[in-house]
Amino acid sequence: MALIAPPAQPAIEFRDVSRRFVLHHERRASFQDWFVGLIRPRGAAEEFWALRDVSFTVRRGETFGLVGRNGAGKSTMLKLVTRILEPSSGVIKVNGRTYAMLELGAGFHPELSGRDNVFLNGSLYGFSRKEMARRFEQIVQFAELERFIDTPVKHYSSGMYARLGFGIAVHMDPEILVIDEVLAVGDQTFQQKCYRALDDLKARGTTILFVSHDANAVRSFCDRAALLSGGQLIDVGPAEDIVDHYQRLLHETEPRVSLLRVRPVDPLGNPTDEVISGDDLRLEVLLRAPNGTGTAGLGLQIDLVDESGTHLFSAGGELPADLPFAQQAIQRAGDEPDTRVARLCISAFPLAATTVRLIATLTNLGGDDRDVVDRSESQITVAPANDQSRGLLRLNYEWSWQAPDSADVVDLTVKRLGR
Amino acid sequence: MSRRHGPPPTGSRNVVSQAAEIFRYRSLIGNLVAKDLKVRYKSSVLGFFWSLLNPLLMMLVFTFVFTQLLGETIPHFPVFVLIGLLSWNWTSTSIGMGTTSLIDNASLINKVYFPRILLPISVVASNMANYVLALPVIFAAMLVARMEFTPWILYLPVIIFVQMTFLVGAVLILSAIHIYFRDTTVLVEVGLTAWFFMTPIFYRVEDVAPDYVSLMYRLNPMASIIAELHTILYYGGVPDPFFMARTFATALAMVVIGYVLFNRVSKHLGERL
Repeated sequence: MALIAPPAQPAIEFRDVSRRFVLHHERRASFQDWFVGLIRPRGAAEEFWALRDVSFTVRRGETFGLVGRNGAGKSTMLKLVTRILEPSSGVIKVNGRTYAMLELGAGFHPELSGRDNVFLNGSLYGFSRKEMARRFEQIVQFAELERFIDTPVKHYSSGMYARLGFGIAVHMDPEILVIDEVLAVGDQTFQQKCYRALDDLKARGTTILFVSHDANAVRSFCDRAALLSGGQLIDVGPAEDIVDHYQRLLHETEPRVSLLRVRPVDPLGNPTDEVISGDDLRLEVLLRAPNGTGTAGLGLQIDLVDESGTHLFSAGGELPADLPFAQQAIQRAGDEPDTRVARLCISAFPLAATTVRLIATLTNLGGDDRDVVDRSESQITVAPANDQSRGLLRLNYEWSWQAPDSADVVDLTVKRLGR
Repeated sequence: MSRRHGPPPTGSRNVVSQAAEIFRYRSLIGNLVAKDLKVRYKSSVLGFFWSLLNPLLMMLVFTFVFTQLLGETIPHFPVFVLIGLLSWNWTSTSIGMGTTSLIDNASLINKVYFPRILLPISVVASNMANYVLALPVIFAAMLVARMEFTPWILYLPVIIFVQMTFLVGAVLILSAIHIYFRDTTVLVEVGLTAWFFMTPIFYRVEDVAPDYVSLMYRLNPMASIIAELHTILYYGGVPDPFFMARTFATALAMVVIGYVLFNRVSKHLGERL
């Protein structure tokens, strides 16, 4: 009879795990509020699912990355793994002694010395004094704090703090190590040291659950990864593939702001077809920013081009984070409620009677490449001003039929002398 | 170590496995107590003597007010009042600090998992250490007053144990309530002041309100505890074992209530802080 090896127990297993948070808009957290609440009923509570039906397994000895945008549920997931939070539903199994580094030096007391903090921190994870004493020398050596170990940690630099925190973590011989973004601190040498220590742990079969915004770190350090988006697990697989997927997702879900139209308006803001040469030209640009996307980081440019294609004029501007919404009147005319409006006024429009192409361009200012997000075009017909001028341009002019005023000349002379 | 959480199929994680977990984390209580004492005394011996100053000054104030101004005739009044004051200090500081112990450690609770119940318990423990360290002052005062030491002094650990049990129950209940009602602290503060005067620390209930003697001992465990301390230390008399047994039963009931309440609340601790 063949010996069948028992299937290796996974290190971490999530089965249909959901976690809900209840957001109270009017939070009642005191007796006072409670009494008030008896008279005036509490505002409706809103539910928020930080994680929804998440299932995955992390195998023993594997280095597993978690990627996703802010608010995707990564931190909630780590808190569930480490038992800081309990799931609202579903089953979580964690098989092995777990050490979580959700923050370097979490649980350090500033008044205590580095030495006392090592022991206190150890006991926070259920390690006895004896077990910590055995590791103490190695921790201090790793942290390079031999001289300062009896100094209260409140006097430590952030680097010393981080070294001690990390030193404790890697010397606890965890079977499962949970790391959240903590490698971002510290200098290059320290980071390299940390990665070497983590590689050692990997070689010894430690399961590592790793969260980082640094796509390259996940790519090079993790075996497999999971992609979270909006509280749901949308992909699990080899780290390379997941990071690629994550980067595609980042681009896809970039907020899409689009241009609806650009048109001339009269001084009251009503759309108009008639633009008179020499008057102020008021233009209105309508943008659509769906689902409350902001307009920060976007540039708007207006170009005027004549019939022959000659570039007449260009005005660029950076949009503020919160462009105002279009007025009620405009919205009633059939525009979506998420329409925002930008206005441009060119005073004393200097073109004589002609037809001009009006081009509005929305660009992305972020990053190196200024890519065009959207473009909208329309035509305006400029009506001649009611005067005697002719030609391409309508320039401000004034005839003077008198000889120069002698007083002006005197005035000028006085001014020059005054200097 | 395998664990399973979420809505469990049968009941909640049982008391035995929780007790085992607390036992595994026993070094944490020691370290939390050590941390507390070190921070409080700033790691110096002098710091500890400073902490004795408060009850000694209180003793002087009470002695002056009651014997000189109010004509109190209890003999060896300073010793009498010191016995009650030190015991009361343990209670009032434990309850004051214990009530807020979870909120005070919110950042820790959000970063590291450990049995949260150890936070309020360690408050009681560190104040107990403080109390025990201050006991020699009582003995010194008794020596100065040439009072008699009887073997019944050995009964002291029993009384301390009862008080500890009572305080653990009290802080479990109050810290759980404090999560939901942050103004619990205000009520606790007023409550402690009222409780102080309703406890026979600087008077003998038998002298002041003979009609209320049994009622007070029934309703106020601190009255029983301090009365018993007076019996064995101040009077050098024989303690009544049933008296402490009744108080212990009350204390135990509070621990049970506190434990159940705390467990229900601690599930939601992560989002409530």
